[in-house]
Amino acid sequence: MKKILALIMAMIMVLSLAACGGEKAPVEEAPVEEAPVEEAPVEEAPAEEEAAPADFKVGAIYINSKNDTAGYTFAHHNGIVTAMEELGMDVESQLVIVDEVPEDKEQVLAAIDTLVGEGANIIFGISFGYIDAMEEAAAEYTDVIFSHATGYKSNETNFNNYFGRAYQARYLAGVAAGLKSLEVGNNNVGYVAAHTTDYAETASGINGFALGVQAVNPDAKVYVKNLGTWADEVNEKAYAEELINSFGCGVVSQHCDSAQPQIAAQNAGVFGCGYNSDMTPDAPQAHLTAAIWNWNVYYGTAIQAAMSCGEASNFVATMGSPAYYGGLAENFVDVSPLSENCAANTDVAIEAVREIIVSGEWDVFSGVKLQIAADGTVTTVEAALVDNAGNEIVAAGGASVEDGVITGTMNYLVAGVEEV
Amino acid sequence: MGLHIVKRDNCPLWKKCCFYFVSVFAALLIGAIILLAIGVDPIAYYTRMFTMGTIGNRIAYKTFMNYLADFVPLFLTSVALSLAFKMRFWNIGGEGQFIIGSIATALVAIKLGGVLPSWLVLILMCLAAMIAAGVYGVIVAALKVRFGTNETLLTLMLNYVALYILIFLMETKQDWNFFLDPEVPRPVPVSFRDLVSFPGIPLGEKFELNICVVLAVLIGLIIYVYLRYTKQGYEINVVGDSAGTAHYAGMKVSRIVLRTVFLSACLIGLAAAFKVGTTGILSTAITDDVGWTGIIVAWLSQLNTAAILFVSALISLLHFGSTIAAATFSQVDSSFANMLQGLILFLVLAADFFIRFRVVRTRKGGSNNG
Repeated sequence: MKKILALIMAMIMVLSLAACGGEKAPVEEAPVEEAPVEEAPVEEAPAEEEAAPADFKVGAIYINSKNDTAGYTFAHHNGIVTAMEELGMDVESQLVIVDEVPEDKEQVLAAIDTLVGEGANIIFGISFGYIDAMEEAAAEYTDVIFSHATGYKSNETNFNNYFGRAYQARYLAGVAAGLKSLEVGNNNVGYVAAHTTDYAETASGINGFALGVQAVNPDAKVYVKNLGTWADEVNEKAYAEELINSFGCGVVSQHCDSAQPQIAAQNAGVFGCGYNSDMTPDAPQAHLTAAIWNWNVYYGTAIQAAMSCGEASNFVATMGSPAYYGGLAENFVDVSPLSENCAANTDVAIEAVREIIVSGEWDVFSGVKLQIAADGTVTTVEAALVDNAGNEIVAAGGASVEDGVITGTMNYLVAGVEEV
Repeated sequence: MGLHIVKRDNCPLWKKCCFYFVSVFAALLIGAIILLAIGVDPIAYYTRMFTMGTIGNRIAYKTFMNYLADFVPLFLTSVALSLAFKMRFWNIGGEGQFIIGSIATALVAIKLGGVLPSWLVLILMCLAAMIAAGVYGVIVAALKVRFGTNETLLTLMLNYVALYILIFLMETKQDWNFFLDPEVPRPVPVSFRDLVSFPGIPLGEKFELNICVVLAVLIGLIIYVYLRYTKQGYEINVVGDSAGTAHYAGMKVSRIVLRTVFLSACLIGLAAAFKVGTTGILSTAITDDVGWTGIIVAWLSQLNTAAILFVSALISLLHFGSTIAAATFSQVDSSFANMLQGLILFLVLAADFFIRFRVVRTRKGGSNNG
């Protein structure tokens, strides 16, 4: 009898741990400080501060814990908190969050009900799989604003989506990687990708990075390993090691959640470009620069529009478009401060390219390519955009592909990229 | 002088209830201390948790509907698991059986929804889910009966097999994959709620009682009667107490095991059908961990069907209420509910010890030296 009881207790102990993925007591959560993530240059915002009514509530639905200290949810949470503070809002009383909501329509709808019940005026959903639930809720709760990251659905009134031109930031990181590849004399560049051509987001990221590398080092080859999932620390590391050891990569870039590829690069004595946050502290000897997001740029804009637009139904009109798609020009995406590992003149080259992109005269996926010399000078040359199967995407001298392609249908990898 | 543990002969029901009440209370108290330590007012937090934030909520009716939607699958799964547990068949495979049931439900709904009359499709969805999950569960029982394999390990491992089948279906964007939305270039599950879904019973102006709530409670009642008053229910108890006795008494133990495990897995499949048939969409998080939480509920309830009704209602409340309360307290995330649940489980198990045994002082030398 006793034996059985013991067995059961052991069993239940194991199970309840397995079931909850290691229950964490929410002790000692450091107050959210925005240390490692980049902030927009502090603008003289307080002029509009009186526009922050004390009863305006911001709601958010997160895929991971709001107490995370790194990664995707952390970046968004940080962005919302920073934006609210800049607008003079009280985060403690004006921000309501349901976190750890999986991409399950019923659970997302329940989370929305909770936030609406708490009086949220605008609800941000940060994960792609929330899309249908948010669309449905926007039709049901017409007096609440819904804003969905990474999605493509919207309406004319109270439902928009937002995303950024991360490919522009990745192009800059690619320039840094390309210069490094020239410096170390190794044309093999690696890329650990969450997905490849399944998602336009990942495909455009790989392509932007690769074109940046090629602008500096036309002989460079970018080897891509496909994780098949957005976060998998074990394989993120293993794939980076494979790229370094089997494909001889001297620089490893990544589109995945953790800093494991950078750590793997450091362990192998090679270099890397991170993503989402400045990963120099994670791999101080390897990291060059990371493509990063300044989510607070969008959140500030959206919250301000929500507070000033009167009726929720005016939100999309106030934002000017049902799809917000900011880039380097809006400072929505950027690269983290260049580390000491970067090759000489990386800063000159990146600033020159940034200027060209911000001015609007050139964009990454067009029939014009940049050629960046080792001293950082940039020249333009007309050349077709070709995918790695040899198909011409944009003729030489042609205009940039449309935003809808970059966000929705880009399902090819450019020449010089090989999925391995 | 020393301490000695003595088995209790009989613990009256009121005393048992007191023990359990005290342990739940103690768990909440420990939770309160943790809340205080991170600077949250525990009374405010618990008030919001137990009222599920419905006070002053303009859509409180939604909260109740969402709560019941959480409760139904947990209740049915716990009842199902308790059937197997009574026989000492450790069915850890609730997750897997639930997933297989979900896939079967979706399959029938997508293929037959809109083709056949709605009521018929709903019945077929339930039947398909029950048979699919039942077979998935009974495989393990058959292996155990035939080869003496360990059912804990097998059901546990089959959970992952089922999960990866589901993930494969949810992430493989191919023409044959009708589980995904053909209109979207990305892998997004298709919604079939407009084709067929379980109806609600309108109560009052806005509140709709899903018919599955009524059906689930009804099924709970049937299982209660089945276990208490039928020959098969009696057989389950005897096999649980001692397979040898059952065998000696002329019972066909293998058949009883197979039948009961099939029934257990069937009910989990039905829980899946109720859930998927209501939401009308699959996802990789479709189980919401009911297969795991159900084990805890079944055990906290001492495998008593009536108690399962209350315990699953309480655990759902705890889970759902805690998520809602956490929304407004920035320091607390939704993991707090899991921690409370774990605390309650451990303390109730501890209370169980004191129900079965008592600690007495003993004098050296014993009592026979008079």
